Amino acid sequence: MSHSGRSMRHPVRYWLVLSGLWAILGLLGVRATYLQVVASDYLQRQGDARYLRTVTDNAHRGMILDRNGSPLAISTPVQSVWADPPAFMRARQRWPALARVLGLQQRDLARQVRKYADREFMYLKRHVTPDVAARARALKIPGVFLQREYRRYYPTGAVSGHVIGFTDIDDRGQQGLELAYEAMLRSTPGKKRVLRDLYGNIIETVESVSLATPGKDLVVSLDRRIQYLVYRELGAAMEAYNARAATAIVMDTHTGEVLAMVNLPGFNPNNRSKLTSAAFRNRAVTDVFEPGSTLKPFTVAAALESGQLTPESLIDTAPGRFRVGTKIIRDLRNYGELSVAQVIEKSSNVGAAKIALSMSKEQIWGMLRRAGFGETTGSRLPGESAGLLNPPSQWVSIDQASVSFGYGISVTSLQLARAYAVLANDGVLVPITMLRRDAPVRGVKVMTRRTAQQIRNMLELAVSRRGTGAAAQLLHYSVAGKTGTVHKLISGDYAKDRYVASFAGMAPASNPRLVMVVTVDEPEARRHFGGQTAAPVFSRVMAGALRLLNIAPDIPQQGLRWAAPTTSAPPA
Amino acid sequence: MVSLTHERKPDASTRRSAGRRRPKADGWLLGCVLALVGLGLVMVYSSSISFAERNIGDGSYYLWRQSIAVGLGLFLMYVTMRTPVRLWEAAGPYLLLGGMALLVLVLIPGAGITVNGSSRWLRLGAINLQPSELIKLILVVYVAGYFVRRQEELHNFTQGVFIISIVVVAIGMLLLQEPDLGAMVVISMTVLGMLFLAGVRFWHFGVVVVTGVVGMAILTLIAPYRFARVVGFLDPWADPFNSGFQLVQALIAFGRGEWFGVGLGASVQKLYYLPAAHTDFIFAVTAEELGLLGVLVVIVLFGILVTRAFLISRQAERVGLLYGARLAQGVGLLLGLQAIINMGVNMGALPTKGLTLPFLSYGGSSILTSFIAVGLLLMVQRETRAHAWGVQ
Repeated sequence: MSHSGRSMRHPVRYWLVLSGLWAILGLLGVRATYLQVVASDYLQRQGDARYLRTVTDNAHRGMILDRNGSPLAISTPVQSVWADPPAFMRARQRWPALARVLGLQQRDLARQVRKYADREFMYLKRHVTPDVAARARALKIPGVFLQREYRRYYPTGAVSGHVIGFTDIDDRGQQGLELAYEAMLRSTPGKKRVLRDLYGNIIETVESVSLATPGKDLVVSLDRRIQYLVYRELGAAMEAYNARAATAIVMDTHTGEVLAMVNLPGFNPNNRSKLTSAAFRNRAVTDVFEPGSTLKPFTVAAALESGQLTPESLIDTAPGRFRVGTKIIRDLRNYGELSVAQVIEKSSNVGAAKIALSMSKEQIWGMLRRAGFGETTGSRLPGESAGLLNPPSQWVSIDQASVSFGYGISVTSLQLARAYAVLANDGVLVPITMLRRDAPVRGVKVMTRRTAQQIRNMLELAVSRRGTGAAAQLLHYSVAGKTGTVHKLISGDYAKDRYVASFAGMAPASNPRLVMVVTVDEPEARRHFGGQTAAPVFSRVMAGALRLLNIAPDIPQQGLRWAAPTTSAPPA
Repeated sequence: MVSLTHERKPDASTRRSAGRRRPKADGWLLGCVLALVGLGLVMVYSSSISFAERNIGDGSYYLWRQSIAVGLGLFLMYVTMRTPVRLWEAAGPYLLLGGMALLVLVLIPGAGITVNGSSRWLRLGAINLQPSELIKLILVVYVAGYFVRRQEELHNFTQGVFIISIVVVAIGMLLLQEPDLGAMVVISMTVLGMLFLAGVRFWHFGVVVVTGVVGMAILTLIAPYRFARVVGFLDPWADPFNSGFQLVQALIAFGRGEWFGVGLGASVQKLYYLPAAHTDFIFAVTAEELGLLGVLVVIVLFGILVTRAFLISRQAERVGLLYGARLAQGVGLLLGLQAIINMGVNMGALPTKGLTLPFLSYGGSSILTSFIAVGLLLMVQRETRAHAWGVQ
């Protein structure tokens, strides 16, 4: 094999090939330099377009707290399972396992995925339990991810369901205070840019575009303890009188804060899958009713303000009937001659009508208007009704007479409570609020202090043993209030056997701190009077609420004066 | 006189006293190979860890297999180095027949393993053998021997160029059946280079080149997938999610690397975006993680490797070891061209081919044949040195 002799056969070709190879390697180096230095910006943008994604970072919604800081609505973190459809499509053989874990029908899952096939995001199941989330994660299916979201939880459940309202699955307020103060409670999701692998898994956060900001906490005027008390007593009354519905509001007279607001039947905002929207209506502000006798104090107040009458002025109500135009106004019985105060105490329709007809329409209308009827209260609760108070120009004399005892006018429970707060507050109307008020607020003078005091004295008589609202009495506290019982207006006619029974009152009467309005819708016919159904609720709630708020009793020796209510107490 | 036994037992005293002694093995060549293999192991681990974690459940799966292949390769390299050159010269035709038999065997359903539509592997117990990797080296061994045997007839077209072309075409046809176009291109170009270096007439060479180019063009035009690859290569951004997908992802990897890379292990493209990240496109991942610096180092290492091969061939030729010279040239061309084509493909400078980057890419057959190839170079060098000192 030895081929000695020539030292080298083709030196030119040898060097040609070797230098050719080096030249090509050099060109590769040039190409690499071009790609990595010159074109790198473009290539990186192309890469970024492929794996940089902006994802949202959810923050929690603000809490809703009662005036003492107890939570009424809180957000808890939950997981939602979502998919990147293209990646998820490639793992089709894993679908049955996932469907089992999430409790979905395989066919539904397949249809959903097809529907979102050309998207980059789809929810598979939202707000799953931690256990389900953990099992879904353990499956390690490509293109399936968990997203932290927040679920709203209402510790008080049905007790404050209507007034607090609720949020939808996307954490947006839908009803009640959740909707009213959405802008404040709402959280702002943060945005961050992340690097994802081909299967969508986040590798790292590249930059934070905006930080997630949680919503602000909302401190509302409600007192959870009183709210619960109202809920319990109202529920007991509902059951005892077999009523269709009931509403109650408790207000702080000086501050205009609503301490409790309950509608029954209630609903549990934590689980409302089978409810219709009608069940969510906060009837205390959305539904109107004819107030009946509870409006009489304002008729009398208008008369006292006009100076035409004094509490001692006598009105002849005999024979218990009074014809106005074609209509006849009746009392329960013939009370004969009554003082103005007794008209309230006995709740005489004839007396109220006669008082009303002794004044001008504008005088009555003006008083009602100033007391806040016919306009919304400014509570900001969604769907609040302004009620109905026709202008006096549309009144004929029967309207003027019937308004005096609360017919031909529609009010909401909240309006009625606010109007009674005027009487309780020496004639000053304080704006209503659903938020805790830390600073005193200026009210509007609606009637003189003297008139308000005189009306309160009359209302105190109305709950005396001889009055219609005796069941509203309290041990150790004086009470002022008025019962109301109206026939329900069913498609334009007054139904004979269907009533709305109500009671509006305040305590302690000597220096009222709390105002409460109770309405019971369609109590059973045997005991349909406000004094029988609504007044006991007032009594039971007030007894607890005054104690809870540490309000000093104004008649420590009341035991001597106090007598059992004329009506039998409902079973608790 | 330095004996072989003396070479086997180096110690400090002899090294110092034998001041005129040459190094036993080519330090530059071995250094290049070890550097490439070391970098390769690191990059195989880095580029495959996520993929292996996801698909096999063990992130170091490919690292271990590659490490075993490297260990075996080092052993085979040593064994090859110790064999006499004459053995290879004589064994050439038989190796060729054996290699072609394997190429036929791999096409038989049941014997060959089909992955992604290509039947490239034979199952041999626990390992899979890729005959197309072997045949590259075998052909170099054979062709070098042919040139030496037909030294005087090389000027004759029929004897010189035509016979070799027939052999290459036959092997090419077998490779196309798998199909493994990449191996065929490397083989053809290596043999062309060997023909050129062996001194065939320019116009003979020209005829072969033209025929080869026309043949490749026809092959490209008749197979839609090859045509799509070429089109995808010419403008990968035209259809970046189908035909141009892999190339676009590779280019993005280069772009992300910039001067010094995103850092070892920090590649994003290896996270399933870039297909075959630990095999054919390991260079792109290297570019992303180690930057232009890493790329230039790899290019220079391959340049040195090729240069050493050529220098070995020249030394062999000087002492009259013509077969050794042709063999060293062939091995240098084979390793160099395969590296150049792979790197060119990775950078979008050449159409996509299924080719490994020698010493870096994951793949047992590729590693083993590459080490044997280096073993052949060391063998030629060993005999050259011995020849020069008159041992023979």
